[in-house]
Amino acid sequence: MTQYVALSAVLFFIGVVGVMLRRNPLVMLMSIELMWNAANILFVAFARTWLNDAGQVFAFLVITVAAAEAAIGLAIVVVVFRDARHVDVDEARILKG
Amino acid sequence: MIRHVMGIEGTYPLLLVVWLAPLVGAICCGFAGPVLKRGAGWLASASVGVTFVAALLSWADATAVRDGAVGAHQALFAWTHGIRFGLLLDPLALVWVLVITGVGFLIHLYSIGYMAGDRLFARFFAYMNLFVFAMLTLVLSDDFVGLLIGWGLVGLASYLLIGFWFERPSAVAAARKAFVINVVGDVAIMLAIFIMIARIGSAGFGDVFAAAPSLGNALFPICIFLFIGAAAKSAQVPLHTWLPDAMEGPTPVSALIHAATMVTAGVYLVARCAPLWNASSDAQLLVGTVGGLTALLGAILGTSQWDIKRILAYSTMSQIGYMIMGVGVGAYAAGVAHFLMHAFFKALLFLGAGIVIHTLAGEQDIRRMGGLRQRMPLAFWGMLAGVLAICGIPGFSGFFSKDAVIQGALDHGHPWLYGTGIVAAGITAYYMFRMFLVAFAGEFRGSLPPARLGFHPEVHAVHGHDEAEHPPAWIMGAPVALLTIPSVAAGWIMAGRPSPWERLMSLQFAVPAHLHAPLPEAATSALVLVMVAAGIGIAWVRYGGHRSAEEAADRLRAEAAGMPAILRTAFYFDVAIDALIVRPAQALGTFAARVLEPHVVDGTVREVVHVTRWFGDAVRSFQTGLVRAYVVVVVAGVACVLLYYVLVGGMTR
Repeated sequence: MTQYVALSAVLFFIGVVGVMLRRNPLVMLMSIELMWNAANILFVAFARTWLNDAGQVFAFLVITVAAAEAAIGLAIVVVVFRDARHVDVDEARILKG
Repeated sequence: MIRHVMGIEGTYPLLLVVWLAPLVGAICCGFAGPVLKRGAGWLASASVGVTFVAALLSWADATAVRDGAVGAHQALFAWTHGIRFGLLLDPLALVWVLVITGVGFLIHLYSIGYMAGDRLFARFFAYMNLFVFAMLTLVLSDDFVGLLIGWGLVGLASYLLIGFWFERPSAVAAARKAFVINVVGDVAIMLAIFIMIARIGSAGFGDVFAAAPSLGNALFPICIFLFIGAAAKSAQVPLHTWLPDAMEGPTPVSALIHAATMVTAGVYLVARCAPLWNASSDAQLLVGTVGGLTALLGAILGTSQWDIKRILAYSTMSQIGYMIMGVGVGAYAAGVAHFLMHAFFKALLFLGAGIVIHTLAGEQDIRRMGGLRQRMPLAFWGMLAGVLAICGIPGFSGFFSKDAVIQGALDHGHPWLYGTGIVAAGITAYYMFRMFLVAFAGEFRGSLPPARLGFHPEVHAVHGHDEAEHPPAWIMGAPVALLTIPSVAAGWIMAGRPSPWERLMSLQFAVPAHLHAPLPEAATSALVLVMVAAGIGIAWVRYGGHRSAEEAADRLRAEAAGMPAILRTAFYFDVAIDALIVRPAQALGTFAARVLEPHVVDGTVREVVHVTRWFGDAVRSFQTGLVRAYVVVVVAGVACVLLYYVLVGGMTR
């Protein structure tokens, strides 16, 4: 059990650091994907341990939402690329207040 | 005691004809005016004539009593809150419908001649038919909401017709004044309807009248609000000031709307609501007093006017005062009878005056008339009949109805109103003969210079379209001749015991069982006649006899110069309304424009803007546009939350 939690924590931390430090939106999306799946590992691990299927179901739900998120994220990336011919998130800051 | 229970549902399609024929006429004249040309006048007259005939055909059913209810009923449709529209023709409504359409028909015919050559000939008849339709809506409705709709529509038609010659600023001002004062009444009636619906759950006549005795403290406010509406429409003190100004409209309009029908809507309302008034003696006292006061005030003001139509306007106001006094004290049959007689003789007087004005190319000032007897024999004889009728000379129509009203005031225990009525009758005789003698006796003064007569020519109104004097067409003469007959003779329906009129009205109004009559009717008539004779005598001494034009002009100039201010300003009513209502309203508007609007309303908005902008400036630096910075903030936030749970231990169950 501890190993699952540790793995999940490590994956999540890698994801967070990736989102915070990388400037390529594709990598950022992958990092977010890491965080989703860190959560999934926890869901599944606890579901098995406590014999509660709700965790399994939730993992599927998370995968669905993650897919939708990835689709929207990639769409934004495509639009940004078309508009600016680059995909550097630090350069795309027209929403600066 | 209420003989007419009006909750009945019926089917009587003829009523739809009575109701809608003038509307059809109005639509045709309104939209096909350029095609119809002169035919618009005939079409409009025909539509009113059709209604008159249809109403006559309904007579038997309108006076038939079935299941304790009198009248013919046609249901229309239901609306929200239990309001059901329907048409009801009972004896009271029948009297009004016959006058509206009968007198209205003659006035329509007359208008064909009077308005001939007017640029907006067809539009005039569209408005006239619209008025007739509105007035029929008013009197045929079987509930207060329908009545109010008609009430508002006649106000609209009146507005349109007073301001018909809209190139004249004075006509526009008069139309607006009439409309505004009438709206005061409309709102009052609306308030009365709100109370009815809140307390009774219905505004149908039958429901409201059945509930009248059990209304308790809601009864008096209902009566008051209804009467404010009646007073505004019927030019009762202090809401009368619009009526003299309304004479800016074409003369047939004055005859139909501001003499015979619309201004008597208040009388109709009070008579219609007899069960309410019977249940509230306080309201009766108020209505009777206002009526008596108006009768007296209108008569006094009639003595000081020079414009022939304004004299007739004040006379109308005074006579409606009599009617309101009659229905107010409970003498419903007498009040309604006076409406009927007045419709005949006042329409006659106005149409006669119209012939004079028309022939003299728009002259309305009696000082510039004189000696018209030889030039206009028809107008002379017609107006003589009207004057004798309004004075109440025995045998003429006014004699029967006015004496009945005055006697009614005494019978119902109002000796003060009785005295007021008698005095006002004397003054009426004086001012009517003053008008008549100045206009028709002596020599023609129209060719004298205006200064000789003591007034400035630019201040007096001019007829809309005529440049030259011309004799009236036969189509103007015929209605005058026809109206002379009922003006002279209609009173005889009130003769006999019980008279035909009493039998008709007893279907509508319960006859009071015991009335104490301190004086017999003959004594009342004698008193009135003495006053009338005195009035005529004074008028004869002052204006009668044969004088040369110059001598008469000097006398009239002296009279005008010596007119006390209180009469010239018509008892300061306009001044008072101006000071008490108009000026404060304007001051309030100025205050709102100069203080409230810029400093309070706009100021508040501006402050909100300032605060929002300041707050936005304060937080805009957070929006760096740098996605990774946002992530840092989110992670830091999550970390803080986690730290909280770790330190405080909120995760434990």
